[in-house]
Amino acid sequence: MALENDLERAGGCLIEHRQVVPPTIHRIDGAVPMTEEWIVETHDLVKKYGEHLALDGINLAVRPGATGLLGPNGAGKSTLLKTILGLIALTSGGGKVLGHDIATEGAKIRQRIGYMPEYDCLIPEMEAIHQVRYAGELLGMNSISAVQRAHEVLEYVGLRDQRYRTVSTFSTGMEQATKLACSLIHDPDLLLCDEPTNGLDSNARGFMLDTLFQVVKQGGRSIIMSSHLMDDVERICDRMLMIHKGQVIAQGRIEDLKAIDREIEISVWGGASRIEEKLKDMGQSVRRTGRVMRITRIDDSTYGTIIKAAAETSVQIRKMEDYEPSLEDLFIVIMDRLGYSVKSSKDLLGGNTPTMDHAAQLGRKVA
Amino acid sequence: MSEDEFDLNDLLDDVAKVPPTADPAPPETLPVATPSSEAEFMGETGAVTGKARMEAAYGTGEGEGQGMAMVAKSATVEAGTIFHQIYRPWRGNLNPRWVRNWSILRHHVYGLFSKGHRPWPVTTKLLVVIVLFGSLLPIISMAMATLTGIDALMQFYGVSRANLWGHVLGRFHNICCWPLLTALIVGGLISEDRQHGTSAIYFSRPVTRTDYTLMKYISAALILSLVIVFSYCAYYAAAIVLNNEGWAYLLDTIPFFLGGLVAAFMLVVTFTSIGLALSSISTGRFFPAASFLGIIFGSQILAFLIKLLFDRDTLFLISPYDNLAHVGQYMMGINTTYDFPPAWSFVALLLMNGISLYILISRVNSLEVTRE
Repeated sequence: MALENDLERAGGCLIEHRQVVPPTIHRIDGAVPMTEEWIVETHDLVKKYGEHLALDGINLAVRPGATGLLGPNGAGKSTLLKTILGLIALTSGGGKVLGHDIATEGAKIRQRIGYMPEYDCLIPEMEAIHQVRYAGELLGMNSISAVQRAHEVLEYVGLRDQRYRTVSTFSTGMEQATKLACSLIHDPDLLLCDEPTNGLDSNARGFMLDTLFQVVKQGGRSIIMSSHLMDDVERICDRMLMIHKGQVIAQGRIEDLKAIDREIEISVWGGASRIEEKLKDMGQSVRRTGRVMRITRIDDSTYGTIIKAAAETSVQIRKMEDYEPSLEDLFIVIMDRLGYSVKSSKDLLGGNTPTMDHAAQLGRKVA
Repeated sequence: MSEDEFDLNDLLDDVAKVPPTADPAPPETLPVATPSSEAEFMGETGAVTGKARMEAAYGTGEGEGQGMAMVAKSATVEAGTIFHQIYRPWRGNLNPRWVRNWSILRHHVYGLFSKGHRPWPVTTKLLVVIVLFGSLLPIISMAMATLTGIDALMQFYGVSRANLWGHVLGRFHNICCWPLLTALIVGGLISEDRQHGTSAIYFSRPVTRTDYTLMKYISAALILSLVIVFSYCAYYAAAIVLNNEGWAYLLDTIPFFLGGLVAAFMLVVTFTSIGLALSSISTGRFFPAASFLGIIFGSQILAFLIKLLFDRDTLFLISPYDNLAHVGQYMMGINTTYDFPPAWSFVALLLMNGISLYILISRVNSLEVTRE
């Protein structure tokens, strides 16, 4: 299978098979680029809360750039974020964030990280400018620098004209932007965003994602973005990290991971059932909806096989193209191979999947 | 047809004679400003003047227009663009721990006096002012006595063991002033962080829970001290100045003044501990404030009733105020009004502070960064 060709199974995780060149990062204004090859690196991270196993032997290697953190509710995303922030005492294992040890150098890590929480974290009666300034002062910025930088970042997140308004008068989008400004005030090397588009309308969501994208591409910063919205992750992240039940079930470049489910989509006329049967007889994997079929692309010879099948069954192929799977498709494929019968990510993220127990029995059966 | 008359054919002929225009010009781009190597402030190049800073900071007057142009200075910006995001790195240094701690302290204390820091409710600010001025009233009375020469007034309000003790630990101040002040100051100090999720702002930064707790504690204690200890010291100093007292008076009174000072600090510490502990277990300012008043007044009333009914003083050990009053009486050399030794009250105070701090620390440890 393509999955087996591209990925290898190791420790229950799908890991990258080939060496991937890290994304080229250009910083503006002569800023110094990061030199660490890995921004986050962990080895067998285990965190237990009493009997509950929150992190179960997490092995991570996150490169600079934008990385999406995906997983169902209760998968361990929040615990992982706290671990990256160096806030929790680990049961076992260890790791480094931006070159600093998670267990012993939490304060140094947090000086270089900007954290944008999912939930409210702003003082409602404070003006945005002072809120952001205070966030900077808590990092150790002196007052003058903090005020100057607060003006800059509030302008950057689109709140230039709103900076002297109290936070309680802000819309959800403006609050999110203020939180982003708070996390960007010290120009962090790594930005942790927990559901940054939560509660935003379409325009505000687009602006937030564009802003985060710019932080990566123009600012040369790295982002780890936790989100339930696959589209958001796909829009700004070039890598993803999927965790479930405290374990990493997939990590790597989204493009590479998508390759596990590359298909050819055809529209046929005059005998869809015949060509479907023929293709299956020829050993192809076919999914069909009416006259549209998707055939798993094994290699370039698959195109020839399809045409041959069409010729032999006298069926017209009116359209044939490579089908680009979305992250949602990828999520479903991975979950499907873990034993979940999910039709969309919502089935799993809502935590109401009837086949959860079945999946739990299957344990780490990946691919 | 005269020359002046309109003829549509002439017009059409003229149009036909006009040579075909070239392709429309590409959209104009705004001139790209070359960054000056000498000075740059928020995207503005050239001399950094005070005016430029004001405009950049506040965007008023002429700076408003310039501010909009400032964000459009990019090689890729087309005419008409009014907002263009440019990520600007920051090259400053982050200061060490004491600067972070100072910012927490300043945030809370300065909030009472100026804008831009912790937004204290107006009622709290008003109460601070009223209680402060109220506790300075004996100074005005002494000044009146000095000016009018009425000795009775000076004897009544002047410095004595009982008056100094009463200023800090008197029943009036401990019913009408200090508990109310503490309830309003301490009530929302931690509970509002839990309520608004503001703890994430602290703990996602290099602020430890120890620093957070300590700075909150010191902030509350400092504000209470500004009223209680300051007014106590001012009262004593005013008595010396207004009565034109000498070194002998100082030598006579300094021991019980210092005893009162220690008692005042003990009161501040105990009230802060209890108040912050209550604040740390709730998510709003009402519950901690109400329960603090309940503990202070309720324990007094209960102990008083037990004394009335059963003539037993021991229950005063559960009352923070009575323990403080008892220890204060002992330290200032006043006859104690309780039947048990002052050491019991001292131990009870230590226990109260210890339990309060334990609750405070454990609850602060439970404050979340990712979710509350």
